[in-house]
Amino acid sequence: DNLCICFQYTFWNFVPKNLFEQFRRIANFYFLIIFLVQLIIDTPTSPVTSGLPLLFVITVTAIKQGYEDWLRHKADNAMNQCPVHFIQHGKLVRKQSRKLRVGDIVMVKEDETFPCDLIFLSSSRGDGTCFVTTASLDGESSHKTYYAVQDTKAFHNEQEIDALHATIECEQPQPDLYKFVGRINVYHDRNEPTARPLGSENLLLRGATLKNTEKIFGVAIYTGMETKMALNYQAKSQKRSAVEKSMNVFLIVYLCILISKALINTVLKYVWQSEPFRDEPWYNQKTEPERKRNLFLRAFTDFLAFMVLFNYIIPVSMYVTVEMQKFLGSYFLTWDEEMFDEDTGEGPLVNTSDLNEELGQIEYVFTDKTGTLTENNMEFVECCIEGHIYVPHVICNGQILHDCTGIDMIDSSPGGSGKEREELFFRALCLCHTVQVKDDDSVDGLKKNHLSRGSCIYISSSPDEVALVEGIQRLGYTYLRLKDNFMEILNRENNIEKFELLEVLSFDSVRRRMSVIVKSSTGDIFMFCKGADSSIFPRVKEGKIDQIRSRVERNAVEGLRTLCVAYKKLTAEEYSNAQKLLQNAKLALQDREKKLAEVYEKIERDFILLGATAVEDRLQEKAADTIEALQKAGIKVWVLTGDKMETAAATCYACKLFRRNTQILELTTKKIEEQSLHDVLFDLSKTVLRHSGSLTRDTFSGLSTDMQDYGLIIDGAALSLIMKPRQDGSSGNYRELFLEICRNCSAVLCCRMAPLQKAQIVKLIKLSKEHPITLAIGDGANDVSMILEAHVGIGIIGKEGRQAARNSDYAIPKFKHLKKMLLVHGHFYYVRISELVQYFFYKNVCFIFPQFLYQFFCGFSQQ
Amino acid sequence: MAVNYSAKEEADGHPSGGVGVPGGGAGGGGGGAGKTRKPDNTAFKQQRLPAWQPILTAGTVLPAFFIIGLIFIPIGIGIFVTSNNIREYEIDYTGTEPSSPCNKCLNVSWDSTPPCTCTINFTLEHSFESNVFMYYGLSNFYQNHRRYVKSRDDSQLNGDNSSLHNPSKECEPYRTNEDKPIAPCGAIANSMFNDTLELYRIDNDTRTPITLIKKGIAWWTDKNVKFRNPTGDGNNLTALFQGTTKPINWPKPVYMLDSEPDNNGFINEDFIVWMRTAALPTFRKLYRLIERKNNLQPTLQAGKYSLDIAYNYPVHSFDGRKRMILSTISWMGGKNPFLGIAYITVGSICFFLGVVLLIIHHKYGNRNTSADIPN
Repeated sequence: DNLCICFQYTFWNFVPKNLFEQFRRIANFYFLIIFLVQLIIDTPTSPVTSGLPLLFVITVTAIKQGYEDWLRHKADNAMNQCPVHFIQHGKLVRKQSRKLRVGDIVMVKEDETFPCDLIFLSSSRGDGTCFVTTASLDGESSHKTYYAVQDTKAFHNEQEIDALHATIECEQPQPDLYKFVGRINVYHDRNEPTARPLGSENLLLRGATLKNTEKIFGVAIYTGMETKMALNYQAKSQKRSAVEKSMNVFLIVYLCILISKALINTVLKYVWQSEPFRDEPWYNQKTEPERKRNLFLRAFTDFLAFMVLFNYIIPVSMYVTVEMQKFLGSYFLTWDEEMFDEDTGEGPLVNTSDLNEELGQIEYVFTDKTGTLTENNMEFVECCIEGHIYVPHVICNGQILHDCTGIDMIDSSPGGSGKEREELFFRALCLCHTVQVKDDDSVDGLKKNHLSRGSCIYISSSPDEVALVEGIQRLGYTYLRLKDNFMEILNRENNIEKFELLEVLSFDSVRRRMSVIVKSSTGDIFMFCKGADSSIFPRVKEGKIDQIRSRVERNAVEGLRTLCVAYKKLTAEEYSNAQKLLQNAKLALQDREKKLAEVYEKIERDFILLGATAVEDRLQEKAADTIEALQKAGIKVWVLTGDKMETAAATCYACKLFRRNTQILELTTKKIEEQSLHDVLFDLSKTVLRHSGSLTRDTFSGLSTDMQDYGLIIDGAALSLIMKPRQDGSSGNYRELFLEICRNCSAVLCCRMAPLQKAQIVKLIKLSKEHPITLAIGDGANDVSMILEAHVGIGIIGKEGRQAARNSDYAIPKFKHLKKMLLVHGHFYYVRISELVQYFFYKNVCFIFPQFLYQFFCGFSQQ
Repeated sequence: MAVNYSAKEEADGHPSGGVGVPGGGAGGGGGGAGKTRKPDNTAFKQQRLPAWQPILTAGTVLPAFFIIGLIFIPIGIGIFVTSNNIREYEIDYTGTEPSSPCNKCLNVSWDSTPPCTCTINFTLEHSFESNVFMYYGLSNFYQNHRRYVKSRDDSQLNGDNSSLHNPSKECEPYRTNEDKPIAPCGAIANSMFNDTLELYRIDNDTRTPITLIKKGIAWWTDKNVKFRNPTGDGNNLTALFQGTTKPINWPKPVYMLDSEPDNNGFINEDFIVWMRTAALPTFRKLYRLIERKNNLQPTLQAGKYSLDIAYNYPVHSFDGRKRMILSTISWMGGKNPFLGIAYITVGSICFFLGVVLLIIHHKYGNRNTSADIPN
C-alpha cells in the first residue's frame, strides 16, 4: 500500500522504545546504575537524591520526544489520507492515498501531486504528453515533458482505461531518479501481447506535480516507501552535537577519576582499618551480621558506596540544565527580529535545540541553489542591440507594472537602420523559442491590471525563455500563441504579425543554441538563432561583434546569463536546400542524432549578429553578501544543485561564490570523456597542490596578495565515477584525491546531483580526516536527504513546500538569515554552552574533591 | 551604463557589512508593526541586555591589586590582633606520660567505682578578663565515622514514645540490652563523655572552687526543639522512661543525669552537646561556663589553679588524647590566628604583585599603549 511512514514510535511501543533510546545515553545509563546501587546497598545518600532528578530528566525528554513524534504522526496522516482519484470497475473513486495499491489506475488532475510512482498511460492532451515539474524532487522548476505509453495513450475516459488489460514488468525499486527500466505487455483481444519498453520518460514520480495538462491516467508501480522519492529519503537519525560528544568524552574521563577515587579510598580504608582499635573502637562497635560478612563482599560494597558518594562528580543536573539552556536559548533565535521575514510573516523555526552550538562551529556549508540561493524566477535584465543597451525600466518580480513599459536608451538613439535592427531583434526573441502559451484562467488581482495587454502564462522547459519572452513583452512585443504553425506577435502598434514557423532546430546542450526558420507575412524567410556567446560568435559574419562581445563578457562577470541573438535571411532556394538536408537527417534510422547535428552545423552559419540578452536568475536578497561573509569567516561554501552546469556556474558567479580571479577547475563528464578520470584527477590535484605549495612559500615571504583561489565544478556523473568502488580497490585513492582537491578549493559547485548524491557528498566530507562540522541548507524535498545527513540541517521555508523545513533542524525564511544565525547566534550558543559545561565540571570537581579529602579525616567511612 | 549599475546595486541589496559579530547592536528599526507573529523588540529578546566583560589591562589590573592589598592587610591585622587578645589555656590530662598525675588512671574502665581521680595544678600567666568557656577536647576520636554518626534515633530523642520503646534499627548494636530498649539508643549516646572536671583557684594553699555553670552550653534549638523528654502523665521522668534501660556504658540511666528537672533526661545539656557530633577526629566541646562576677575583677586572675578530674573516660585504647581548654571569646569566635595570617598573606602578595606589575608596566608597557583598551 501507499503508506508513508516517518514517525519513530507508535502508541504502544513508545514507553519501552523511548526508555531504551534514552538509556543508550551514557549519562542516563550511569545514573540508572547509581540509582540501582543506592537501592540495593546501604549508601551515604538516599536513592531519592539520584532517582528524582533522573526521573525528571527522563520524563521531560520523553514528553518532548513524544510531542515531536505526535507532530510527525499528524503530518504523516495528512499525507496518507489526502484523497486520490482512482479507477475501479470503470468508475472514478475517491480514496485515501494510503489505500492505493500497486497496479491501481490513478487519475491525477492539473496541479496535483502524484501520490506514488506511476506509469503514464494517457493524458487529456491529444499527443499523449504531459508536463510535470519536479521541483520538489530535484529542484528544477522547469516543466518536463513525459510521454504516455504508445498503446494506451488513446484511452481518454474511465471506461476505456478500465478495459485495458496489460502487465508491467519493472525493476526492483531503486533510488536513482533518472533511471527506470521496465516493460509493458498489452493484451488486445487474446492476441499475442504487444510488448513496449518503458523508460524514465514514462515514469511519473511521486512528489512531482502535474502542470499544464488537464488530467492524466497512470498505473501505480511503486508505492509508499518504495517510491523513488521515499528511497531518496534517509532514515532520520538522532543528531548529536560535537559539544555533546566531547561532553561524553569528558564524562568518561570523569568516570575514570571517580572509579580511581573510589578505589583509592577503599584500599586506604582497609589499610587504615587493619588496626583493630581503629576498625572497632569501644565506642563504635559493629553489629553481628556486619562482622560476619565476607571481606570481599564488604570491600565491594564499600567500593560501591564510595562510588555513590562521589557520583556527583558526574553531574546529573548538567544534562537537565544543558537541555533547558538549549531549549530556552533556542527562543532567542525565534525571537530575533532581524531574522523575521516581513514578506511571509514567518520567523525562524527551531526543530531541534540539540544542535544550537553547532551553528557556531560550521566549517562546511552545503547549499542548494534553486530556491535557496536564488529566488527561482528568471528576470530579463537588459538587452544589447548593435551595441546599444536597453534596460527594461522596472525590475520587479516577474510582474510588470504596466505603466512602466518604456525602456531606457543608454546610448544615443539609433538611426534608421538601427531602428530596423532593433525591431528585428525583438521579433527574433519573440520567435526563437519553444515557449507554450497557456491562457490564464485563474486571474488574480495583480494580473488583471494588464489583461488588456494579452495576459497569458508562458510555459517552457527553460525558464530563461520564459523570462526572455516576458521581458520582450515589456518592451512592447507580445508573443500571443502558436496557431496552425503560425506564430502570432502583438507588436508595439498593437498589430498582430503572423509568421509561419517552418523549422525548429531545437536546443541541445552540445550546440548550446537553437534556431528557428520562419516565413514572414511578406514572404521573407528568416532564420533566427539564439545561443550561448561561445557558440554564436564563430558563426557570425557581420554585426558589431566587438561591442556586443565586451558587453556580454561584462554581463557574464556580473553573473547574468547571456544569450546572443543572430539572424540571417534565407532565399527560397537556400531554404529548400536546408529543408532537404533536415528532412534527410530526420528520416535517417541510424545515427540520427549525429546526422542532425551535422546538418545543424551546416545550416547555422554566416549569421548577422543582432544583439545579446541578459537574464538574471534573481538571487535571494543579500545572498552574495551572506556567502561572502561566510567565506570570510573561513567557512567553505559548496553549492549542490540538480541544475545544469552553466546555470549553476552563473549563479555562483552572481553570488560571489566564484570571483573574477577564481580559477575554475572542471571535473565534468565531458572532460572525463576526453581524458580518463584518473588523468583528470591527477592533473587537477597537481594544479591545486602546486598552488598550495607556492601558497605556503608566499605566506612566508609575505607575498600572499596575488594568491589565487580555486573553484571546482563537478557534476553528478563524474562524482558517481569517483565514488564508485572499483575492482582493483583503488577507489579510496580517487576519493582521497578528490577530497584533497576539494579541500584546497575555496568553493565547490556540484551540479546535476540526485538527492542521494547530495547526501553522499555531505557524508564524504563529514567522514573525512578532520571530521569537519557540516551544515546543509535547502528548501526542496530534494534537499531532505542532504539536510538529514549533515550535522546541521537547515530548511528554507520556501515556495517548494515545507518538506525541507519539516525535516530540518532549523528552518529560516531566507538564505540571508544564515549569516546572523551562524555568525551571531551560533557563536553565542557555542560560547555559552561551553562555559556552562565547563563550569559544571569545575563545580563538580570543587564539590567532590573536599569530599574525597574528608574521607581521610573520617576514617574512610563514606561520611 | 550608470543607470544599469545602480539598478544592479539595488537588486543586490545593501552594501556588504562587516563580518564581525554585530553583538546585538542597533536593531533594525521596527518596520510594519501590528503583525502578531513578529517578535517583540525588547532588550531581552533581542539579546541587547547590558553586559560587562572585563578586559584585563594594566589600567584595571594594577589598581585592583593595590586595592585588594590595601583592604586585606588591615583586615588581616585586625583579625590577628583580636585573635591574639583571646586568652586560651590548654591542659592535656590523658596521662600517657608516666610523670603525669593522671597516669594512674590511664587504663580505667567505665564502671570503676569509686572513680579514679587525679589533680593537675597549673598556673595562668595572664588573667582572663571576660567570660571564660571551659571545653573538653578529644583527639583521635572518630565522632565523624559514618557508622557512628548514623547510630542514633532522632525521633526517640525528640520525645516520641513509640520510638522510645522501639528505637530505630540504625542504633544497632546499641539498640536493646537484655530485651529492653535502650534510651537513648545508639553508639553516640552510649559513648557519652563522662569525666567530671572541677576547677579550683589556689590562693595561699587554700583551694577556692570556681563556679562552673552547666546551663546555657547547648544550642537553643537543640535544647528546645530537637531534644525533648518523652511526654506522659506527670513529670516524673523515672516513670516516663519506664520499660527502657540505660545505655550499656552509662553508670546511671538518662533520667538521673542531673538533679534539676529542666536539665535532666534527654534535655540534659551535656548530653545535647555530646550528641552534636564533631566533624573532625580532633575536636573540643563546651563543658562549662565561667561567668564574670563583677566588673572590678577579671574572671580568672593570673595565678595558680588546680583541676580535679574524675577520670572515667578511657581513650588510651584508641590512642586518643583528652584535654581541658579554658578560653575567652571575641566577636570572631575562639582563638584562630590562621584567618588573620591568611588575610595578611594574601594582601601582601597582591600588593607585592601590584608593585612588580607596575614596574614591569612602566618599563615595557609603553611599547604598545595603543593596544590598551581604555576602560
